[in-house]
Amino acid sequence: MREADLVCVGAGPAGLGASIAAARAGAKVLIVDENARPGGQLFKQIHKFFGSQEHGAGTRGLRLGQHLLDQAREAGVEVMLDTVAWGVYDGDTLALRQGRDVSRLKARRILFATGASERALPFPGWTLPGVVRAGAAQTMMNIHRIRPGRRALVVGAGNVGLIVAYQLRQAGAEVAAVVEATGSIGGYGVHAAKLARWGVPILTRHTIIEAGGSERVQWATVAAVNDLFQPVPGTQVRFEVDLICMAVGLTPLTELCRLSGCRLVHHPALGGWVPIHDSDMRTTQPNIFAAGDVSGIGEASIALDEGRIAGLAAAGDLGFIDGPALGEAQREVRERIQAMRSGPLSVKVARAKAELLGLPDGGLEEAADSNQPAHLRRLGWLCGTEVDALPGVPEATAVGSRRVAVVECAERIPCNPCETVCPKGAITVGTPITNLPRLDPSRCTGCGLCVAVCPGQAVFLVDGSRPGEEGAVVLPYENLPLPSVGQEVAGLDRSGRAVCRGRVVKVRKAYAFDRTVTVEIAVPKEAVMAVRGFRTEEGGEPR
Amino acid sequence: MSASGWPRDLIICRCEEVTVGEVEDLVARGITDPNQIKRLCRMGMGLCQGRTCGSVLEALVARLSGQGAAAVGYLAARAPVRPVLACDIAAASDADLPDFADPH
Repeated sequence: MREADLVCVGAGPAGLGASIAAARAGAKVLIVDENARPGGQLFKQIHKFFGSQEHGAGTRGLRLGQHLLDQAREAGVEVMLDTVAWGVYDGDTLALRQGRDVSRLKARRILFATGASERALPFPGWTLPGVVRAGAAQTMMNIHRIRPGRRALVVGAGNVGLIVAYQLRQAGAEVAAVVEATGSIGGYGVHAAKLARWGVPILTRHTIIEAGGSERVQWATVAAVNDLFQPVPGTQVRFEVDLICMAVGLTPLTELCRLSGCRLVHHPALGGWVPIHDSDMRTTQPNIFAAGDVSGIGEASIALDEGRIAGLAAAGDLGFIDGPALGEAQREVRERIQAMRSGPLSVKVARAKAELLGLPDGGLEEAADSNQPAHLRRLGWLCGTEVDALPGVPEATAVGSRRVAVVECAERIPCNPCETVCPKGAITVGTPITNLPRLDPSRCTGCGLCVAVCPGQAVFLVDGSRPGEEGAVVLPYENLPLPSVGQEVAGLDRSGRAVCRGRVVKVRKAYAFDRTVTVEIAVPKEAVMAVRGFRTEEGGEPR
Repeated sequence: MSASGWPRDLIICRCEEVTVGEVEDLVARGITDPNQIKRLCRMGMGLCQGRTCGSVLEALVARLSGQGAAAVGYLAARAPVRPVLACDIAAASDADLPDFADPH
């Protein structure tokens, strides 16, 4: 029987983070993953991640995955792929199957980094081909390069729904609408704004009623809902779609924790049942750890850090790290997690985790009560008043006198690449990392590095300083085909409505920024603070 | 429409083709333990082993019984939690066989 100091089940960010930390300390580490490729969900994430430099912010998820794999290999971690862990015996032995080979593996410490599964939403017609969970659509598009449909309805406006809707457009599909049963968009507003400005409607207080079709999905009906989430009669709308993506939340995959006798607790903010764990990510079984989504649904960067903490603790248990060094290493990671969870959108998760760990949640109340842009949360785009209130938005006099950045970042997201990339120090985030970016227009030279780097595509350049009637707007662009210089376009406002005519004057491929293209369009001067998207005059949606 | 607000013929366990109505009838008889419901109608016993339908069942029972999710509880896990052929277990060498004692 094979043996190891630490076995991690799941080679996503948490499993890799733990493995790298423990192996670097000298432990013999093995990772088991049921997929043919390691990386968990990271390789499906073609968008750029939020965060700080330590998290590789501004990097696309798939590259972060590759980076972690390289680190794991260098640290001497053994990765067993196509291998399912189907049982746990005696609290220290995993039953494995690789192909048809059944074996067992004994571990002095086990980390369950098994991730989450997507929740299902039953409705009449949900068993038709063409109804998928959003993650499946993402796998088809981003791993297998298959467009899962031509016209989609996305159910759920959390981050998964918003991101998958955006990626559907990138894959050349049309998104008829994103519907959300609650009164508020659950995901980051910047992800919603990316859809809204290209004309995708986000319907809060709406849900899917039924889907139909003969061989596969051909249509779906959607209706408004009341406060009890019951459909309001007479509000039904029918969409002709061949794809319905359900993105109604994630739930931790805890079967192996349950089999091991780890006690679970129910926390809605964490996705449902999670293993009770301490600040080392240790479960109620002393030799078993849980980290990442299985310990509470969160972001990949936090999963990575939770894994690191568990890996360090396991290595400490086995004598590979002494007490002071362990405490030092863990403290740094814990502070980073706390900073990442300090934004207003993370407050429920932060509170649930604090309760679970028996920690004080001082300061969380304050964060929760901080002003949230209501218009953005309800409709997916910032209204004029909300824009004007932002510290990253220059005043009209600055816009009229120079080419200057406009940072439309409104939600205290823990993220700061705009600050890091600016060569002139014109953008300040500072500490905590959830501060809204503040722009000093007098320092901004209009270079546009911040436009290309922003993971939320929330930075633009505007120029109202040229002689004559014409001004310019520079926008981040991640669709194909690229527009061509000289092409006539319609300028779209934040809600996707055409507000003026424009002309493409420059298409800049900033390869240093991993394929985020910036497109400069000439628009009337009075429209530079309104235009945030465009449509080619042929009426063609991008591809 | 039915007690849950969902159509009674709506399938909620795709692997075993269990409908909303079947679960509603069990809950109406006072059976609100997801594990008991599983044994009585096979919901959650198919290929997905409850990974798709488990949270649907828990939410449905919570809605029908008026209990909170924490009170309803969850489906117990049983090895194998992923498909494995019995003949492949039998073919494994003794040294590689798990000890099939009680997992706790």
